This record gives sequence, structure tokens and C-alpha cells, in this order.
Amino acid sequence: MPIPARYYDGVTARVRQVGLLYETEGDVSYLLVVEGEARVPVTRWPVKALTMVSSRPDELRLRGRGLPEGARLVVRGTAAIARMKAGLPVLERRQRRETRQQIGLAALATAALAAVILAYLYGVPLLAGRIVTLVPPDWERGLGGTVATQMEASLGAPITLCDPAPESTANMALARFGAKVLEGSNSPFTLDIRVIHAPVANAFAMPGGRIYVFSALLEQAESQDEFAGVLAHEVGHIAYRHGMEQLLASAGTGALIGFILGDMTGVSVAAGLGSTVIDSRFSREAERQADAFAAQASYHQGFDPVGLANLLDRVGGDDALSRALALFSTHPLTEERKAALDALAADRPRDLPPPFSPEEWMAIRTMCGSSGV
Amino acid sequence: MVMQRGPERPVPVVFTGSRRELVGLLLRGYLLLLPTIGLYRFWLTTWTRRFYWSNTVIDGDTLEYTGQASQLLVGFLMALAVFIPLYGLFFYLSTQSSDAAIVGYSLVAVGIWFLIGYAIYRARDFRLSRTLWRGIRCDQTGNPWAYALRRFGWSLLMLATAGLAYPFMAVSLWRYRYVHSWFGTRRFGFTGSWRLLAGQYYISYVLGVVIAGIGAGIGAAMGAFPPSGVANPWAYLPIGIALLLIGIVILRYQARELSRMFSCVRLGSAALTVTIRARSLLHQYLRYGLALIVAGTVLATGGFVVLSFIAPEAFANGDFNLQLFLQHMQGSVETLIAIVLGYLLILGGLNLSRELFLGLAFWKLVANGARITDIDSLDTVGARAEDKSLGGEGLADALNVGAY
Repeated sequence: MPIPARYYDGVTARVRQVGLLYETEGDVSYLLVVEGEARVPVTRWPVKALTMVSSRPDELRLRGRGLPEGARLVVRGTAAIARMKAGLPVLERRQRRETRQQIGLAALATAALAAVILAYLYGVPLLAGRIVTLVPPDWERGLGGTVATQMEASLGAPITLCDPAPESTANMALARFGAKVLEGSNSPFTLDIRVIHAPVANAFAMPGGRIYVFSALLEQAESQDEFAGVLAHEVGHIAYRHGMEQLLASAGTGALIGFILGDMTGVSVAAGLGSTVIDSRFSREAERQADAFAAQASYHQGFDPVGLANLLDRVGGDDALSRALALFSTHPLTEERKAALDALAADRPRDLPPPFSPEEWMAIRTMCGSSGV
Repeated sequence: MVMQRGPERPVPVVFTGSRRELVGLLLRGYLLLLPTIGLYRFWLTTWTRRFYWSNTVIDGDTLEYTGQASQLLVGFLMALAVFIPLYGLFFYLSTQSSDAAIVGYSLVAVGIWFLIGYAIYRARDFRLSRTLWRGIRCDQTGNPWAYALRRFGWSLLMLATAGLAYPFMAVSLWRYRYVHSWFGTRRFGFTGSWRLLAGQYYISYVLGVVIAGIGAGIGAAMGAFPPSGVANPWAYLPIGIALLLIGIVILRYQARELSRMFSCVRLGSAALTVTIRARSLLHQYLRYGLALIVAGTVLATGGFVVLSFIAPEAFANGDFNLQLFLQHMQGSVETLIAIVLGYLLILGGLNLSRELFLGLAFWKLVANGARITDIDSLDTVGARAEDKSLGGEGLADALNVGAY
């Protein structure tokens, strides 16, 4: 009995009810397609050329290599399909091979993507460091202004300088110290150190050479060593252009996560979270560089850079959010950090005068209106 | 089996797929997305299409989707070539002063809006050229840039006329798509004109405006928008009712538009008739809303249980302490993993609901409402030359405008 099937020849859209029979000629087997009671042969497909096309479970579709693109034989119903598969076990073997090929392709693509991600994780800090040298300093200066505007918006209040007079003792002392520390680093930027009124103890370096010191941080500084250390650390960020580097790295991370999620337009939660996790790695390296920069500065400026770790540790205790996000922390652990700073500054000359004269230090401590004791 | 023939015989389109089958397929696919870092989505899309195509039966013969996952993968990689410079541009703009950034973003947004038209057309081309029925391949010709320009121009006109140009736009775009569609050597035709839509559209438009006016008026009278002080919460009720009624008006119009436009599709002397009832469309959206509520409730409960297990202190005394919760995240990799997993589950739940209650439901609605007359005239259609294009609809994929 021929197996009933529908036959499309792939040349015209006519469908024919046919029967399928097996035929062997020499050592080549064929699937013979016959039509009608009289079993008039329509065509025959060499078994070697047959492959299954995926379809619904109750349908078996065959196509053949070397035949028109759309030529198909369609067998329906469990019984008929079982008869086909029993007669042509090679079909299922070929299908399994096809499945293996697809799995192989998916695995290969996944491995390639994983390699890209790994290369990215390790390459981006390097790459961002290289690219940052290509960014025109003028552009970075303009960017600093934009970031400052955004920061102002996020603080919810306009930024007010503690001491708006640029020629005051405090501002002159800060500028002199900053310039000395930055000297010799080939930085294209001129420092602009701004001490502002803000209730949170913080200090950061903007792209383009601007440093913000919050009044609360200044109040918490117990010695010149601590304050000078933090300031030198921020100058280090400027010298290395870390702000710009960080921006470039975050942009790259966003693109990568967009690629993984397959939606390049959507700004998703995962993308944000992912960038935080990935970028924190990058930032720790940046913090270490800035620490080393501060330690180096202590060789000619007469402060103990370990103080910077003390101050930041004390300040960190006040900032619940930054502690909470310690998993993503951008700052190295205090003990580890102190040890590293100590080692880096081991040979610094101990007989240098302190960075600020007593009058200057007094002026700095009182510039935001606090008691200064 | 004796095949009945004759020009008068209207042939129904039948959809045989079951929801359970699709759920199995999707869940398996979502699981495989994890180890493949998301790359399995190209295979998942391919399998989903095979499900839809192979279960759509026209006159006893199913459609066949011949596209390959690797083609989608290649297409996506090609789309990256467009997106990486765009990403660079976005980054550059984000670093500019806010005025320049706003102007820049707007220009990029307009560019993307234009590009979406191109992507939609190319994606349709990919799907059609991988659709086989009775051994004959469909295809789409026409210029995707021309389509994008047309769609862009019409959308500007829509803005300028506050939506009054819509019937003209709809018919123009439907016609462009169908006049450039082929089944083998035979070209599709489109007999629709704006007159078919205009009456219904403008009635719905006026109805919508009137309902919105009444709703807003009653709401304002009850004190929804006080110049100062607290708004009366009850005043939002008439506004909510008005929005709901407008939604029903829109669905009613949509059902009519789809029925009429699909029914203007011709293929030689064969004609398609589609009947979609507004009621069915409404039920579909109600079910989708219900599915979202169920999925949301399940996920929220699950998330609450998991998080309270991981960070019990934050949930002490019956209320949630964000400060404590954030503190708990200090050094807690579990919390991070829970958040990432929760995010993926939400994404999965949303996708599943959308695919089942919008995608599948809509496909079923159109397929089961469709009839074709004079289908026997298609017997003489010949095959087209092979389509050699390598990659598929990458841009549509990246812009997230792909359908089915």
C-alpha cells in the first residue's frame, strides 16, 4: 500500500494527492511518487537527497537536495508518519545531525559572545585609558561644565562657594597646593578647586580639571595630612583623566548589555545594574592610581598620605548609602589601602614643611564658616 | 479523497495550534536564553514562527516558514554596524550642554523614527520571502527607503492635521505593502480606498473627542485639577471611565479597519475576506490585562518571599525599611543574584503574557476570521527565483519593532 501524501512540485502552486512507495535500483534507493488507483509514477526522489523540514507534530514534510526550492512531500497522521520513519530511518538520523549542527552553532556563537564579554571586562579599562588620551581637552572641559550642572540639579540646590573671593588666603593656598601636586604630570588642564557648602562629606574630580570639596568633608578633616591627602588624591583623578575614562567605560558597558538583551533602544534596569557591577572593578583600579599619585606627591609636599585613608574611612561611616553599596564600592578597603599607601610613601623625606602654613590652614578650616577648632 | 473545485467555493483559513504547545515552546526557549547569554532568542523567534506558520492551514495546506536562526543572527550583527555609531553619537550628546543635548537627541529620535519604517519593511520582506505555501514562495519587492520616506511623510502630516489624515495614510501604506507583495509569480493587489475608513474613523474621532471633553469637564467640576491644594480623588473616576470608553471606541474602530483593509487584499482573482469583531478584540485585551495582573501578583509575592528570606531584618515589624535593605546588600551576592533573577522573571512573565494573549490571540483572530474565494485560480502560479539575501531583519530586531 502506498503511503498517502500531498505533493508540491515547487514549480507551480498545484497540489497533488499522491502515494509514496520505496524503490531500489541497483544500490540506489528512491522514494517513488505515484498518483491515482493505477499508481502512475509522477516522480521519484533519491533517498540520499531527502531531508525533513520542521513542521507540526502530526505532519512530516520532506524536501530534497537538487530539487526545486519549494518541492515538498507532506505526510499526515501518526500512522502514516510512523510508516515513513520506519521505512526511512535515515531521515531521523539526518534530523538529529541537523539539530546537532544548530546546537553547535548556538554554542559557538555563545562562546564568541562570552569571549567578547571577557575581552571587554579586561580590555575596557585599558581601552578607555587609551581612548581618553584621544579626547580633546577642550571637549572634556566643556563636559565638566555639563556634569557640574547635573550635579547641581541632583543636589537640589544651587552650588554656593564657601569663599567666593579667588584671591583669599584659603583659595590661594589651595590653588598653590593643587598646582604643585599636578606639576610634572603633563596634564592639559588647569586645576579649579572649589570648596562648596554641602551637608554630605564628599569630594570629587570632574572631567576637565574641576575639583569639588564639600564643606562637610573639610569639617571632618582632623589634620593637614588628611585634607592634603584627599586633595592630592582628587588631583590624581584629574591627572589620569579618570572621570572621562569612567564615562567612556559606562557607555561601552551600556552598549554591551543592550546587545545581550537584544534591545539597543531600551534603557533597562539590568543595564544600569550591570554597568555598576562592571564599572566598579574599573574604578577600584582608578582609585589605586589616584592613591599612588597622592603618595608620590607626598615626596615633595610634606604630608602623610595615610591620612587620606583615615579621613575617607571616617567620612564613609556617615554615608549610609555608600556603605550599603559596598558590594559595588569604588573605594578599596581601608586597611588594605593604608598598607599600600604606607608602602608607597615609605621613603618620603620627613623633614619637609607641611603643605600649608598655620595661617593658611586656619583660613581653609574657617572658609565655610565653621569654628575651625 | 475527492477535492471539490469551483470558483464559488469560499475557503476558510484554519488555525490548529494550541496555547499549551506555544507555552512549552516559549518556556523551553526562555530557559535556553540563560546559558546562551541571550543569543538563543534568534532560535526562539524561528521556532515561534514555525509554530505560527505550520499551524495556519489554507485550503488543506499549511504555511511553511523556511527562515533560519543563523540568518537572524547575521542580520542582528549587521544592524550593529548602524547602532554602534549611533551609540557613539548618543554618548557624545549626553556629554554636551543640556540645550545642545536636547536638540541632538530630538534629531536622533527623528532619525530613528525614519529608520523604523525601513526596518519594518525589511522585516516584512524577510518574513514573506521565507513563507511557502504549496511549494511556492512569497516575496516582497519595492524599495524599503521609499516606504520609510512615505511613512515618515505621512506621520508628519498626521502631526500637522492632529490625526485627521489617518485614513489616507493607512490606505496608502497598506496599498504600498500589498502592491509590492508576491505569491510566486503572481502579484498581490489592494482594492481599498480612504472612503472605506473615513466614515468610521471620523465618527470614532468625534466620539473620542466628545467623550474626552465630557470626562475632563465632569472631572474638573468635581475638582480633579484644583489650581491649588489637594485634588478630590473621586474626580478621577469620570476621567477613568472616559478613558475606558475611548479605549472601547478605538478597539471598535480597529476591528473595522482590520476587517476592511484585509478584505481588500487580492491575489489575481482570488480575494481575501476577513471578519474581526470588536468584541473579540476587546476580550483579547481584557484577557491580556488579566494575565498581566496575575503574572504581576505572582511575581510580586514571590519576590517579597525571596527577599524577606534573604534580607529578613529589612522586613521586620511588618514594614519595609529601604535603608536596612540597602545596608543588607553590603557584600550580599545573594541579594544581587535575586535582583537579577527577579528582573529576568519579570521580563519573562511580560513576554509570555504578550505572546500568548496578544500575539497568539491576534493571529488566531485574523486566521479564523479569514475566507478566501476563488482559491483554485492560484493553481497556475509559478515559482519565483530563489532569494539569496543572507541576513534577516536585524535592524527591526535591534529597534524592537519586529512582529511574530
